Amino acid sequence: MSYRVGVDIGGTFTDLALLGDDDAVVLEKTLSTPNDRSLAVMQGLEKLAARVGSSLREFLGQVETLVHSTTVADNTLIEMNGAVTGLLATAGFRDELELRRGYKEDIWDVRLEPPPPIVPRRRRLTVPERILADGSVMLPLDEEAARLAIARLAKQGVESVAIVTLFSFLNPTHEERLVELVAEALPEVDISVSHRVLPKAPEFERTSTTVVNAYVGPRVSGYLDRLAERLAAAGYRQRLLLMQSSGVVMTRDYLRSSPVRVLASGPAGGVIGGSHVGVDKGEPDLLCVDMGGTSYDVSIVRHGKAPAESGWNWHHRYMIGTPMIAVETLGAGGGSICQVRNAALEVGPESAGADPGPVCYGRGGARPTITDANLILGLLSDQSDFAGGSFRLTRKGVDQAFREQVADPLGCGVEQAAFDSWRVVNARMTQAIRRLTAEKGTDPADLTMLAYGGNGPVFAAIQAQELGIARVLVPKASPAFSALGSLTARPGIDEERSYLAPAHEVALDRLCELWRELDERAERNLKEAGFTREDIAARYQLTLRYPGQNWSLAIDVAESRGPRDLGFATETMRERVIQRFHERHLADYGHSRLGESPEITGVRLTATVEIAKPSFATASAGELREPSPAGLRRANLGRGFEDAKVFRAADLRPGDVLTAPSIVEEDFTTIVVYPGWRAHLDGAGDYLLERA
Amino acid sequence: MSFDMNRRLTERMPPLPGAAEIDSVTAGIIRGAFETICYEVATHLGRCASSAIINQSSERNASIMDGHGRLAGLSVGIPQLLFISPMSVRYGLLQRESDVWGPGDVFVGNDPDAGGGHLPDYNVYAPVFDGAGEIVAIQALQAHQGDTGGKDPGGFSIDAREIYAEGLIIPAVKLVHRGEPRRDILDLIVRNNRLPSFPGDIQAMISGTQLGVRLIGKLIERYGADSVRAAINFNIAETERRFRKEVSRWPDGSYEADVWIDHDTVGNEDVHVHVDCRVDGDQLTIDMTGSDERPELVCVWNTFSNTRGYAMAQLASMVDPGIPKNEGLFDAVELIVPEGSILQPPANKPAALGAFHPAVEVAEAICIALSKILPERSSPQVYKLGMPNSVVGFDEGGQMWMDQGVDVRASDASAARGIDGWGAMCSGLGNLILATAEEAESRFPVVNVSREMTTDTGGAGRWRGQPGTLNEKKVLEPVTAMAWMVSRKHPLRGLQGGDDAGPYRNRFQVGTPDEYEIENSVQAQLPAGAVLSYQYGGGGGFESPLLRDPEAVREDVLDEYVSVDGARERYGVVLRGSAAECQVEIDWQATRQLRAELAQARGIDLSQGP
Repeated sequence: MSYRVGVDIGGTFTDLALLGDDDAVVLEKTLSTPNDRSLAVMQGLEKLAARVGSSLREFLGQVETLVHSTTVADNTLIEMNGAVTGLLATAGFRDELELRRGYKEDIWDVRLEPPPPIVPRRRRLTVPERILADGSVMLPLDEEAARLAIARLAKQGVESVAIVTLFSFLNPTHEERLVELVAEALPEVDISVSHRVLPKAPEFERTSTTVVNAYVGPRVSGYLDRLAERLAAAGYRQRLLLMQSSGVVMTRDYLRSSPVRVLASGPAGGVIGGSHVGVDKGEPDLLCVDMGGTSYDVSIVRHGKAPAESGWNWHHRYMIGTPMIAVETLGAGGGSICQVRNAALEVGPESAGADPGPVCYGRGGARPTITDANLILGLLSDQSDFAGGSFRLTRKGVDQAFREQVADPLGCGVEQAAFDSWRVVNARMTQAIRRLTAEKGTDPADLTMLAYGGNGPVFAAIQAQELGIARVLVPKASPAFSALGSLTARPGIDEERSYLAPAHEVALDRLCELWRELDERAERNLKEAGFTREDIAARYQLTLRYPGQNWSLAIDVAESRGPRDLGFATETMRERVIQRFHERHLADYGHSRLGESPEITGVRLTATVEIAKPSFATASAGELREPSPAGLRRANLGRGFEDAKVFRAADLRPGDVLTAPSIVEEDFTTIVVYPGWRAHLDGAGDYLLERA
Repeated sequence: MSFDMNRRLTERMPPLPGAAEIDSVTAGIIRGAFETICYEVATHLGRCASSAIINQSSERNASIMDGHGRLAGLSVGIPQLLFISPMSVRYGLLQRESDVWGPGDVFVGNDPDAGGGHLPDYNVYAPVFDGAGEIVAIQALQAHQGDTGGKDPGGFSIDAREIYAEGLIIPAVKLVHRGEPRRDILDLIVRNNRLPSFPGDIQAMISGTQLGVRLIGKLIERYGADSVRAAINFNIAETERRFRKEVSRWPDGSYEADVWIDHDTVGNEDVHVHVDCRVDGDQLTIDMTGSDERPELVCVWNTFSNTRGYAMAQLASMVDPGIPKNEGLFDAVELIVPEGSILQPPANKPAALGAFHPAVEVAEAICIALSKILPERSSPQVYKLGMPNSVVGFDEGGQMWMDQGVDVRASDASAARGIDGWGAMCSGLGNLILATAEEAESRFPVVNVSREMTTDTGGAGRWRGQPGTLNEKKVLEPVTAMAWMVSRKHPLRGLQGGDDAGPYRNRFQVGTPDEYEIENSVQAQLPAGAVLSYQYGGGGGFESPLLRDPEAVREDVLDEYVSVDGARERYGVVLRGSAAECQVEIDWQATRQLRAELAQARGIDLSQGP
């Protein structure tokens, strides 16, 4: 037997998913260990080993790949404990990071605080040099000035240095020389250089990304080194792959030069897993919603793919320009606090977290939360096991908290207050979805919803209804779905290079040169990860826009497998790409401009390796049956209190059909079948909710 | 005629008819849906527009009016401009019968004498009807166009005496009739514009507005037209109630302020804005009587719609930021704007530059006046730049190009109590995304030489203003450059004893024997290689600099926001060492002594300090 293991570290729990070569899946959850997160990973692995009846050492000997989504980069930014970082920039451009292209997060609040300064001005120093938009050198690098600036950084004890000069993605010679000068003077420091971290325009996005990379880099490397040591000590010899925000996984070595790419990689695992589930089940267009204790993550899968895009992505108040799967995160979860302010009911973003948690956890929480509202509404019960049987909810104090903090200020009863909280959190989540679909130019009604996380399936169908969505999928593995999903992610790289030219004048040899460079990079890194050239599937894209537009669309040019072949780069490719761009613009934005000639803004290569994936395929579900419920419960499913059927997951089997109103109690989650809906267990034991 | 029209367009309108019951939760959900729809509409335009001013700088603003032309909801954008669509839409509504409004129609207007801001601000709007043929809501989308077909490229003329010089004036015209684009009208509008990107931009504005109409239609399907109307009524009343509740907590009284602009574009000096903010119970009155009325002034005429927008944007920043932005704000505040003054000009005055100054001075004066009673929430929501240094040239094909000069910079980011000025601009302009050097230089023959903050600019204070940047740009081909300089003699004011921001300065042909400083306005032909050098003024300080924590001053010196000399002269903090050596120490004894002397000379009570 050989295994693959996915590990996803969350705020409260570290989730693990084990996949055997017989396709069997085992899920585990263990409490996270914030001081050294690699501890929880090892504890989780021990639990998994026990589940398959092995010692940890034996077990690790059978694991062929470990895929890890780490939050260490995100935590470094949240906790502000990154490296002492310096920046070397082109003279005249010292302050780009601080000026943020003018962006401020709240246009109405004069009391908005500045972002925490990860590189204060005293450590942002400049060097006379200048390269122009055609890559030519207007002013050579002033090496003497560079040495002085480096000496000034040295005096301030920098541990990490970011280097960003203008147009370095066209001509990196000045940045390369600065790397040498820094390495000579400060051999111990980490160096992040912009033409490697993000080789594209414009300078603010590149500067911010490179600086964040420099700031989190040493922490990410330190954590991964520690984890690798623990794994090695425990006997693990195989590959460790890391989830990137783009949704492809890659080796530690590859990420050494751009650790910023692991930011926000946790949600990416879920989305990639989602796309795989969707393809297996014949649902290629998905709206993925992940609702946990404190946050609600939404993302979109189209045509079985979750495209990673680079754009105006702000994370922890810094701009990150590397490709990311678009995930809209909202402070809404089971722990979201319900309160009345200025006579209006607000739910979240403030959260009771895991400690003290909702009132109904009985751990000292006194502020009413969504989980408490769900208990009052009967969607959850204090008579059943909760969180996999680890404890039971209590009604004690719940009604009082709602009465005092919500019902009385609103002038209504407790049940109404709980119901209104449920409506408000639903509306907030629905609006977050609308925002994301607006960014993508997608109508949510064209999608199937995939709901996971502890609280996702509680709300899924009612949101689907609001959004005009007809079908909702809830995978059986939903509570640890991101960890499982990371096992479906392909190893690979996804990189862009700037190239600005009118599409009809594009120089084919230059395009080929850039693609070849990317391709060689992919091949080298994937070989180091143990794959061969024959394994590599390459997707070549060009990004285009109409002259003057600020947003480009990525247009597929060619796909190939195995040895590199750029034979597709011909005159006819040019015309075909322009045509496709016009069509895509019409489809996405409602109009095209056939009278205008678009411009090319860059080349992109996604080079990935196909791997074996768990099957979510829907085998025959057997005969349909309408099972008897384990009991009835008074619950409000949106149309007042009524008797709802309650089912225990253990009693259900493929083929079962549940009519509304119903509530299914799974180990780590609850699935609600709202009026107007019915649920069907498919052959894989996953739930499909449809309008009745 | 125009004053009558202005009065009609700003009358307090009654709630929408219909007595549907609505609860606060549903009303809140519908309000959120309006904001999200506006966000979707604005995003659509940002994605597909071609002019940098729209897609890079995000000068695009979506709002929803109700069937009475009342502001019902809005999205992210530029606050001042989010408030100016209602008057333009109301003008359209007045012509509803004769223009045969119906489903699928889309309109445009930009005429300041018909509710518009200034000519570049095209306001595209489209009605949404219920089943009975009544208008429930109107989706509006406003965006600044890079050209308006006037005598000068770009829509700004420093010598315009009449609005006719500034371009095509559109009171209200139908662009799409029952879903069918009107080719004749679109051709006319496109023909009157120099920019090759304009046809795409106007198309994107139309499709964005249509998207909004579809989304509002779905909302009506979901909740019913009567509930949507009831929600609008509820939300507007709620905003008025919350605003008045805040005002009722302010001390009654009259709070006045005066602000001056250095000069108009031909040299008439000290253009004056006066406000008297009167608080009486829950009623706030902003009376601008006393503001300049000199008929000889050139270009400093702010349209009425714009005056209201700037006043309200400042006021909205001085109350709980969570109060929903809608007509309830206008219902809560009485704005007295003297007819014929620079804040409500006679008909046919030029409008382009007036939409900058004296528009921002209205906001600045309100902020200064109310800072006496609302120190916690006072920070002027302004930009004091005259106009950006835009340069215009023509390529080999004779096609015009224009670098609008909305470049990355730091300007007018003032302190608030407890918070130093930060970032590039005031909070309100947080969605005005500034242009980058690499994008601009890939499009236009220019080189951005420098744009770093200048040490010791920005107002000193217990909380200091952000320094201003020095933006130097070299043009690689001959260009026409236009500039109007203000805020040299009358820079942005500090608050509560904080220092004023530094003066703006602008020099052309820097480093050559022909170098000159622009004292007022200029339209210059510059040769290839010319350097333009623009010093922004920075933000104003808050409270006396003698009260700033010396440790904070030391940090500022290490970061070179402030020099060692500046620390001594402006803050009374005596330091040893230098930023270059990464070593700066406070001489505490000398500091105490110097601060005591300066406090006496300046009349500052040091016991208020840390």
